Parts: sequence; C-alpha cells; structure tokens
Amino acid sequence: MQDPFETLGLPADFDLDLGEAEKRHRDLSRALHPDRFAQSTPAERRAALGKAIEVNEAWRSVRDPVRRGEALLRKMGIQVDEGQEPKPNPELLMEMMEKREELSRAGRQHDAERLGALVVEMKAREAKATAALAAEFRLAGANGGPRAHAQALLRGLGELRYYRRFLDEALVLEDEIS
Amino acid sequence: MVLLDIFDPKAPPKPIGIDLGTTNSIVAHVRDERPVALTTCDGTALLPSVVYYGDHGNVVVGASAKAYATLRPEQTLASVKRFMGRGADDPETARLGTHRFKPPANADDAKVVRFDVGGARVVTPVEASAEILKSLRQSAVDQLGAIGGAVVTVPAYFDDAQRQATKDAGRLAGLEVLRLLNEPTAAALAYGLDKKQNGLFAVYDLGGGTFDITILWLEDGVFQVKSTGGDSALGGDDMDRLVAEEMLSAMGAAARTPELIGLALDAARKAKHGLTDAPEVAVELPKRGGGAVEYRLARAHFDALIQPLLERTGRACRRALRDAGVEAPALDGVILVGGSTRVPRVRGYVREIFGKEPLGDIDPDLVVAYGAAVQAQLLADASDEVLLLDVLPLSLGVETMGGGVDKVLPRNTTIPAGARSTFTTYADNQTGFEIHVVQGERELARDCRSLARFTLKGIPPMPAGVARLEISFNVDENNLLAVEAKELTTGIRQEIQVKPSYGLTDEQVEAMLLDALDHGEEDFEARRLADAKVEASRMLLATRKALAADADLLSADERARVEAAAAELERAISAADRVAALQMRIDVLDDATHDWAGRRMNRAIQSAIGGKSVEAVGATVEHARGVEAHLVEHGALPAKEG
Repeated sequence: MQDPFETLGLPADFDLDLGEAEKRHRDLSRALHPDRFAQSTPAERRAALGKAIEVNEAWRSVRDPVRRGEALLRKMGIQVDEGQEPKPNPELLMEMMEKREELSRAGRQHDAERLGALVVEMKAREAKATAALAAEFRLAGANGGPRAHAQALLRGLGELRYYRRFLDEALVLEDEIS
Repeated sequence: MVLLDIFDPKAPPKPIGIDLGTTNSIVAHVRDERPVALTTCDGTALLPSVVYYGDHGNVVVGASAKAYATLRPEQTLASVKRFMGRGADDPETARLGTHRFKPPANADDAKVVRFDVGGARVVTPVEASAEILKSLRQSAVDQLGAIGGAVVTVPAYFDDAQRQATKDAGRLAGLEVLRLLNEPTAAALAYGLDKKQNGLFAVYDLGGGTFDITILWLEDGVFQVKSTGGDSALGGDDMDRLVAEEMLSAMGAAARTPELIGLALDAARKAKHGLTDAPEVAVELPKRGGGAVEYRLARAHFDALIQPLLERTGRACRRALRDAGVEAPALDGVILVGGSTRVPRVRGYVREIFGKEPLGDIDPDLVVAYGAAVQAQLLADASDEVLLLDVLPLSLGVETMGGGVDKVLPRNTTIPAGARSTFTTYADNQTGFEIHVVQGERELARDCRSLARFTLKGIPPMPAGVARLEISFNVDENNLLAVEAKELTTGIRQEIQVKPSYGLTDEQVEAMLLDALDHGEEDFEARRLADAKVEASRMLLATRKALAADADLLSADERARVEAAAAELERAISAADRVAALQMRIDVLDDATHDWAGRRMNRAIQSAIGGKSVEAVGATVEHARGVEAHLVEHGALPAKEG
C-alpha cells in the first residue's frame, strides 16, 4: 500500500493544510497526466498513467479524514484493517442502530425532510468526531508516541467510520427517493 | 472567392476533433489558434447522423440519407448513438422508432443491437457510427491534407461499454482515436479558453439522445470536474416521440407502419423546431382513409408534454450539485450545450434550477466539436497549458457472493483512477476465480449495468482461504477500465480472460475491418503495416526527444542499448514489409526504455514539487537523483566513497 503523504510530498500530519494538498495534487497532475504524454514512448505513457493514478489515489486518501487517519496509522505500523479496531462503546452502538433504523424508515416512507435532517445531524457529529480524532493525533505526537495512543486513535477512527457508512447509505436513499 | 489551401506534403498531419452526435456530427480543427468547423459532405458544418443502406450495397451518409428516412425507414438508420454499447434486449429498442431489429440468434449475438437494413444486410450501431466517422474523416482529409489523430467526444455519462463501442467505431473508420473526451468538458474547454474566465461552472448538455450535467472548477487552465451526472437515454428524440404519439392518434393510424412512424417523428421534429420562434404551429397530416387532418401544437402544450423529461434532468442537476458539495448560487455561470437547449422551455427550466441566466453565446451545436479540436491540438503539442481532470461518471463495483455490490471506486473519482481489492479462494485447490464487474449506484448487482466477467486461471493449488488474489482496477483518462490480477502469496501474475457483457469482441471488429476492404487480406496487411510504421515513427521521435532531454538518466550501457534499438527500429521502418518484423523492433526498444521511463517520471515529479517543503519531498527526490544513485541502490554499481 502506498504512502499518500510521500506520494504528494506532504508532511504526514492529520491536520494538514488541505488547500496546500490540493495545490500539490494539481501540480503533480499537470506534470503526470497522460494527456501530456500522448506523443511519448509507450513505456513513458505506461509510467505516466501509473504515476497519475498513484497521485489521484493519494489525493483521495488525504482529503478524506477516515482514509487519512488510516494512512497515518499504517505509517506508524499500527494495523488498521476494518474489524480490527477495538470494540466501540455500547452506547454509541445502540444509538447508531436506532439512527439507522430511523434512516431506513425515512427511506421507506419517502420522507425527504426527515432524511435531510438525519444527514445534517450526522454530518455535525462527523465533524465533531473528526476534530476529536485530530486532537488525539496531536496528543499522540506530543507524548509517548502513537503506540501509547493506538487504542484511542483506532476507536476514534472506528466512530468516524460509523458516521461515514450512515452518510453513504443516506446518499443512496436520497438518490432513490428524489 | 474560394481560397485554396495549398497542401505542403511535409506539413505535419493535422489533429482533428469530432463530435459524434445523436442527431448531427461535426468535425473541427484548430486554425490560427482558433477552432473552426470543417465543411462536411453536405456543404454545411453539421452532418446529420443518418446512414442509408441502399439496395445495391451503397451507403449514403448525412442529409441525402435523411431524405430516405420517410421513404425507406427500415433502410435508414438515425440516432444510432442511443444503441451504442447496448444489448439486444435494451429498453431503448422498445421505444417509438422506425428501426427494424434483427433478433439475436444466441447469447453472444445479444450483446449488441443489430439492425436489419434489408437485402439480408445486418448492421450494428458501431458500424453505422463508423460510416458517419468515415464521412467526416474524408471531409477532413479533403480540406486539410494529411490528418493526425482524432479526439472523439462522448457523453460524460457513457459507461465503459458505450465508450468502448465509440472507440471501435473510430477504429473501423480508420481513425487514430487519441482520446475519448467528455462532451461537457469539451464544451467547457471551448468556453474557458475563449473567455479566460476562472470560477465554478455548470454545463447543462441536452442533445438529441443524451443528457449530461457537469459541475466543474476552472482555474488558470485547469478544468477540474467536481461531479457529473446524467442519463444516456434522454434527449430531444424523446420530445419528438411525445409529439409523434399525439400526431399518430390524430391521424387515426390503426397500423403503425414504419413509414407512418417515420413521418410522424419527422413532423414532430419540425413542429418542435417551429415552436422555438412561434407560439403555435400547425401541421397537415394524412388521415386514415384518405384526406388530411390539421394538428395544432401550442407552445404551452408542448412545454407541458416535455415537463416530465425536464424534471428528470432537474433531479440529475440537484444530485450533481450535492455531489460537488456546492449550492446553485455559488456557480459563476451555466453553459448550455446541445441542440435541445434551443427549446425555450429548456432554457427557462435551466434558469429556474440554477437561478441564473444561462450562457449560450457559442453555438450549442458546435461548441463540443470546438473543444474536441482544441484538445486534439493540445495533445499533438504535448502542451502543459491546459489540464483536464475528469471523473468517473458511475461507481465501479464487484458483485459479492450474495448478489450485492462491493464498491471499488465511487462515482466522481478523478481519473485516471485505480483501486485494488483482495479476494480469496473458497474451496481447497481452487485454481480459477470469476469476478463480475458492474457499473452503477444500485445496491444489487443485477440492478447495475454489467460490464464484464473476468475469469482468473492458474491459481496455484492451496487450501481454501489461503490464496490471496489482488485485483487492480485501473480506469484510464478515457474512462476505460483495465483489470489486472496477482496472487499475493506467490506473486504470480494471473492470466485473465475478459468476457465483456456488451459490445463487439476484438475479433469481430477485425473481421469487420477485413470485410470493409476491397482486396481483403492483402489490403488489411498493408494497412496494419502502415499503421505500425506510423506508430514506430512516433516512438522513434519520442525516444530521440527523450535522449536529448534526459540522457543523463541512462548509464553508458543502457544508453548504448537504447541507441542501438532506435537505430534498428529506424532501419525496420524503411525496410520492413511485415508487421511482425516491425513489432519485434518496437518491442526491443520498448524494453530498452522501460526503466528509463520510470526515472524520467520521477524527475518530472521532482520538478513539479521541487523547492517546496523540501524535507517532506526528500523521500521522493531520492528516487530521482539520477541514474548513478539509482543503480547503486539496486546494487549494480558500488557506492561512492566519501
């Protein structure tokens, strides 16, 4: 698995400047996009395509908090495969189950308003959890190194994934009932 | 006065851009830094996308073919674009129209639509499209002399099969298709370069048969598509059908013969055009049992008829805005593309959705071809002034055991894009594996569009669950998918057999090419040799340019190898009389330049991000220090002391 920070030549930091990262993605795309190599040798066309894919993939990783967190942990040598994270707290689990039931009910009833409200609520929670995870990463960097904070980081990432999955499902439902 | 261009035989071949439309097609090129449409065989810029198959094997394209549409409807193919990359059972084949379909003889046959054009002649949409492209190509050759590669546009919402079909048509027409470019992106390119304006734009593209909505950000020559959406079976044809249904009722037509349907569709189209400037039109139609009936169509009624179609475009627009993460007021402009945006109600609807007056100052029928011509020129010049960052229109996924879809790449991912998925065997000593790749947003694989089934063979025998198959999905800049597989425990690259769900096989396309040539095999070989020579010459030129720029990335030995291979290839270009001999030389040079290409790419990366945040790029720069460091790393050279 490639290291997206290295690919983009950016510091491996959860709080990275997304504007700077986007600019870097653009500069690299300008240099590597296959369109630049339409007149080049087949070997160069292949190499450019491979690199351009890597650069796009890296940008997709760093711009998304979940994937960015995963990439950082992986870089720290911490296993991040889904299903390996510590058990989430049961309260959150229960709450998410209820929310998802509410979501599928809104879908079944074609209740666009309720669906919209759920999305707004979940987006706010996602933003809050992202900020909390960012703080956790800063803490991990400041004392004891990531290992000491692995559990907390993984739990934070797990929570973020719950919200993400919820929002993905909501998106599909929104499309279906619109 | 007619100005005659004097052809300079040594002038480089000129790149062209082609808009292969549902209703009309256009070929354009860049002259004095501005795109211009070339004159087609009809003497106009627009060539009706209609093909007539005559009784004596003759084929007619354009306005003359259109003249046959009501006389010989079954021999005249219009709107074939709507059938590109679709199967024989596609819902499109059931809509009101004059096409006579040939029922498929078997499952393989059912992968493409086939038209029965009479005289025992059966034609696929790819072949009919190739006839249109051939005509445009000929016009370009007549006016420009030698032509180079072509950029051919496709609706942004076209899936993999529809794009592949378009590429096949280009190949059949003898075009070198440099690139398949999305129509809205092409339009934005034409607008953006014309106005030199930065900002966030929506492109609303309603053509004869397809609808696209694209939201893109334009900044200093970078066209970054944020989201795209649409419907590849929605357009002006559907408006015509709604009106034609009413006309057929008014005529009291009991038996809907192809002639009557053709007549109604033609009258409907004319009525629609009439309503662009008039509040009401009257059409005289033949009545059942003789005589005539007058059918009156008021604009208000027409507007009400097409409202459901507009609402479908509206849903796609709202979704595209949401996917782009923007609200309508944030847009700096809305660009109208496609002939159907001439309908006043369409303009009004677009104004309502986006809350601003849309731009239509470049002819909506020509703007896509202009953009294609610009892109063709940029590709030929290897220019870095413009960068088109397009996206995947539909999510790409793999069918899971339960019939669900495991999303591999979500829609609106910037292309070229790649993703890897790992699979394992479920039985002991299982040596084969099948994966079903689908495109679409639905939760069940059967509700998505089937792209292909990939069969992996030669997995080393192992207990169930031990073998780990890594499948790489790569989508290139044309939005075309390639799949590779590797078994991770052994590192063995797996052989993959691809069974596309729709479309023609390579063998079928080759057979059609062979068929089209007068002297069969002989001509075919000559043409393949000529094509290979063009490719070899380009490769030679590119290698020499690379040598001039980055020879320092080669060791003395490597350089000698590249130069020898280049010299051999040059000899082969003038001497070879067989494709195989030339291909061998191409392969040798390709092999000799492989590692070097990687190093040159690393150098390009270094210069793109060089000098910014030096520490962070350290690791990347390592790889691009030059050949010596590279070879030391790989143990080919002893490390320098000190």
